[in-house]
Amino acid sequence: MRNLLDFLAKYNHWFIFILLEVISFVLLFQFNSYQGSVWFSSANAVTGKVYETESEIGSYFKLSKVNEELTQRNLYLEQRLKELHQQIGDSISDSIMENSRILKSLQPFRLIPAKVITNSVDKHDNLMTINKGEADGVKKDMGVVSGNGIVGIVYLTSAHYSVVIPVLNSQSNISCIIQGRGYFGYLHWTGGDASQAYIDDVPRHAHFKLYDYVVTSGYSSVFPAGILVGRIRHVYNSADQMSYRLKIKLSTDFGKLRDVCVLDNHVMAERLQVLRAAQDSIKTIEEK
Amino acid sequence: MNIQLLRGIFAFAILLLVQAMVLNHIHLFNCATPLLYVYMVLLFPRNYPRWAELLLCFIMGFFVDVFSDTPGVSMASMTFLGLLQPTVLKMFMQRDSADDLAPSIHSMGSYKFGYYAIIMVLIYCASFFTLETFNFFNWLQWLECVAGSTVLSAILILAIENFRSK
Repeated sequence: MRNLLDFLAKYNHWFIFILLEVISFVLLFQFNSYQGSVWFSSANAVTGKVYETESEIGSYFKLSKVNEELTQRNLYLEQRLKELHQQIGDSISDSIMENSRILKSLQPFRLIPAKVITNSVDKHDNLMTINKGEADGVKKDMGVVSGNGIVGIVYLTSAHYSVVIPVLNSQSNISCIIQGRGYFGYLHWTGGDASQAYIDDVPRHAHFKLYDYVVTSGYSSVFPAGILVGRIRHVYNSADQMSYRLKIKLSTDFGKLRDVCVLDNHVMAERLQVLRAAQDSIKTIEEK
Repeated sequence: MNIQLLRGIFAFAILLLVQAMVLNHIHLFNCATPLLYVYMVLLFPRNYPRWAELLLCFIMGFFVDVFSDTPGVSMASMTFLGLLQPTVLKMFMQRDSADDLAPSIHSMGSYKFGYYAIIMVLIYCASFFTLETFNFFNWLQWLECVAGSTVLSAILILAIENFRSK
């Protein structure tokens, strides 16, 4: 017994070492399976506050650049709006009808403006923290967009902060279509350059051109259809030669992202649920 | 004693905040990130209680992890470095040096302290980036990260140490 105690006293640092390493590895593996606790990430209250203060200071220095970008974007959108109005006016004489239809398609989404407080672009699995949480109505699996395009999907929320999986994460998987052509594929990112990503599973018979725009497809209730993702820069064959793989330039600049919007889709989700319930009940009636 | 403790806590907080606010955002050539908090481990004096050293390293790693969303990675590698520090320090020390010698340029000479710092930083960067990528999916990038971060961190630490010893 004494020998044992002596042994333990002499080599106590080895036991502490093993204990601490086990704790670290448990955290390492648990969190990497994306079921981690909010407490060990930058979404907890203390780190969140520190980062928020830092990013508030930082955002002052970038305001002029942001303004410039917004103005440009505004100009572009104004022009586009004019163009589209003309097209609509040509094809449909009743323009009031058309206006109400556009309004309707955006109605189900409530926009929650948020600020990015931490962000990374250099890792293989990047994460982003924003300063809105459950108290502001943000929930898991809501879409996040910026003025320039798509950003990512919420995956962890605390009371006042949430962690977002941006497009720049190997786990991210968002359904997209090539604008005006209808062929769809899945948006992936494989590390490296933060301004480029890939669209996989585009069918071989698809027709498209370089510099075509890629937008969200709207097949899920996370993003509405037509949010800008990027432009096609290069076309590859997929590894199995069964489909195309498109290299695109992302329209969102993740390196200097500050202001984003969370898309609250609960009305849309409710509607989908009702629709599904209705379909199910029709089915059971038919079966009878 | 109390003043020393206070200074220690102060230095700990400063290193942590500088890492989280400034250095984590630096990615030179897309691979080199200075990891300044390794400096803390370098400064443990000879014959410091090993359990305390391990625990302090672990706590530092924990805070760095919480700030940079990489749970476990720097925790595990900091603890590992804390285990190795007394052994590495012994390699660069004369046998007759003081029992509680605190490593610095002043007490060890710039050559020896330089080698000591570079070896420690290299061990840390290697274990840190190995855990971060884990499956060596891109060993070239792993090598770049380890080499780049080692050089940058070592230069930073030696510069600060040089400034301090004057």
